[in-house]
Amino acid sequence: MTTADHITAAGIRQRPRLRAWTRGVLAGPLAFVASWILMAGAALYLPEGAAGIDNLVFPVVLFPLIWAVLFLYALLDRRLLRAYVVIGLVLASHGGLIAAHLGSVA
Amino acid sequence: MIKLSQERTKELLAIHGWSGIILGLLLYAVICTGTIAVFSTEIGDWSNPLDGPATEGLPPNINALVQELGDQVDPAYRDQFFLYSSGGGRLMLQFEGHLEQDGDDDHPGAEEHYGVLYEIDPNTLTLLNRTEGPEAMLDAARRATDALADFFVDLHVRLHIPNPWGLYVTGVLGLIMMVAAITGFLVHRHLIRELFTIRRNKEALLRSRDAHVIAGTWTLPFAFVLAFTGSFFSFATSLGLPAMAMVVFGGDQERAIAEVFGEPPATDETPAPVANFDAVIADATARTGARPNFIAGSFYGRADSQMRAFTPAEEGDLTGRSPVYSGVTGEFLYDKPVLVGQSPSAGNAVAALMAPLHFGNFAGIVSKAVWFALGFAGAYVALTGMLLWTNRRADQRAWQRMGRIVHWMGYGLPLTMAMTPYGTFAGRWFGWPLETAQWTAFGLAALAALIVALGARTAARARDLLVATTGFALLGVPLVRYATGGPGWLGAWSDGLMTVIAGDLIMMLGGVICLGLWRFGAGTSAEQAGQANSRPGRSNPQVTA
Repeated sequence: MTTADHITAAGIRQRPRLRAWTRGVLAGPLAFVASWILMAGAALYLPEGAAGIDNLVFPVVLFPLIWAVLFLYALLDRRLLRAYVVIGLVLASHGGLIAAHLGSVA
Repeated sequence: MIKLSQERTKELLAIHGWSGIILGLLLYAVICTGTIAVFSTEIGDWSNPLDGPATEGLPPNINALVQELGDQVDPAYRDQFFLYSSGGGRLMLQFEGHLEQDGDDDHPGAEEHYGVLYEIDPNTLTLLNRTEGPEAMLDAARRATDALADFFVDLHVRLHIPNPWGLYVTGVLGLIMMVAAITGFLVHRHLIRELFTIRRNKEALLRSRDAHVIAGTWTLPFAFVLAFTGSFFSFATSLGLPAMAMVVFGGDQERAIAEVFGEPPATDETPAPVANFDAVIADATARTGARPNFIAGSFYGRADSQMRAFTPAEEGDLTGRSPVYSGVTGEFLYDKPVLVGQSPSAGNAVAALMAPLHFGNFAGIVSKAVWFALGFAGAYVALTGMLLWTNRRADQRAWQRMGRIVHWMGYGLPLTMAMTPYGTFAGRWFGWPLETAQWTAFGLAALAALIVALGARTAARARDLLVATTGFALLGVPLVRYATGGPGWLGAWSDGLMTVIAGDLIMMLGGVICLGLWRFGAGTSAEQAGQANSRPGRSNPQVTA
């Protein structure tokens, strides 16, 4: 197996220990960071409600559930690459939203 | 019934088991201490009573004393003031301001919270203690009145790890518990049947698995709610609010707090009289139907002063109310949502639900008792889960050792918790620093439990020794309480201190149950399955996975 194979999907599939680590990184730190970014970013598009605070409160209240969904999804999706793509999309979309908002405020 | 493939069920079982075993020991500690913390108010009243019973809500006729004490406080330290009850029903009156420390133009001095804390007997309205100093000193004085309950609550909330790290740890433990509850639900192939199934004639490991599943299934919704609300409490202020401040308000925490908790009134530093506290309490009682148990105010003795009364939930409501008053005239200004925002909202309603769901205090002692029982069952599920996991692997040396550690935590933690009152009472009696005395008792018990758990010939023997010692320790608690200056039963009865008598009886009942388990019980089924566990380090051919 060449070095290049190590980082391809096929390479990872053939190496159970590497596969376990790769999935562990996705389900552990990456899923947690994605939940946090999703929570913070959701405050920018959720409705503010009558008192102007619903968009701030609901993401914070739902944070544990968001994490549980991403965590279990990261562990259970048989196609590891797809799981990386989905969680990467969550990170990129909400991270981008936050960056654009902070850029406009500055 | 949820249909899953065998392979998917295996994966979920692996997630369920590993999520439990990796942080299960700490999770067990959080559940056990949380179960006890449900009765934190009662523990405070039992462990440090006054000569009369604790009243519900703030006591009557306090205005003259509060104003007299307030007038003695340096105006620099009257930015905020609080009235609340502590252990034994003590009335606490706290003033706080900012102490500017020395600095120069380039290095301005940091501002430190500084203030005065009065401890008042609500029955006689006499001053018991006065503490003046920085926030940490006020905290220590406040904690001293409620030391035992605070010790357990702190262990539950942040495992005594400094903030925010302790909150992060317990938040992650809450998430782990939630995953264990979700996966536990998903792997049930026959949910209803498993609520009632225990195979008595089968081998010990199967029976223990059935006992774990029955207890786990009955408490599944509760475990999920507790885990969800618990991780919310841990992460809301340590991660949630800072995230909102950073993202929505560009890092401006003050603006975030003003948005969520409301803008302060316009500044007016003109000296002004102070509103009548008795009148404010009476109005809040009439307006909400419940007597306030907490008052928070700002700028005592100034024209811009306001005070906010917090009342407990009335029957049929899940949350209390918090009317706001002028701190000068005592005039009612408006009803403020208890938690967040300036007007009623779905966000406030949802956030306000978290507390009663987590603390179980929405229907008085009855709901607390139910929460205690369900918490106890949750601790049983966590312990039997870990015992099952280690017993199934008891032919491997590393898992044998892990099994002993599970015994240490599983049966040693109740012992350390039973010993903590010894430290509290002795510390109060001899005038030792209370926290040091509590940690000494707790630490020595933990060390003794570790020696027993690792040194006993078998795991079952370790369990027997620890359970028996816990029984004797619980039986001795009322004696130590009495010997260190606490009221006897006759005195408590005549003073109306029913919590003292009830607390002693519960300790004694707990002790008798432990001794009964030691003498006649044979341990949890999970443990029976692995009771032949020999001393860690020796292989055990009798136990099969």
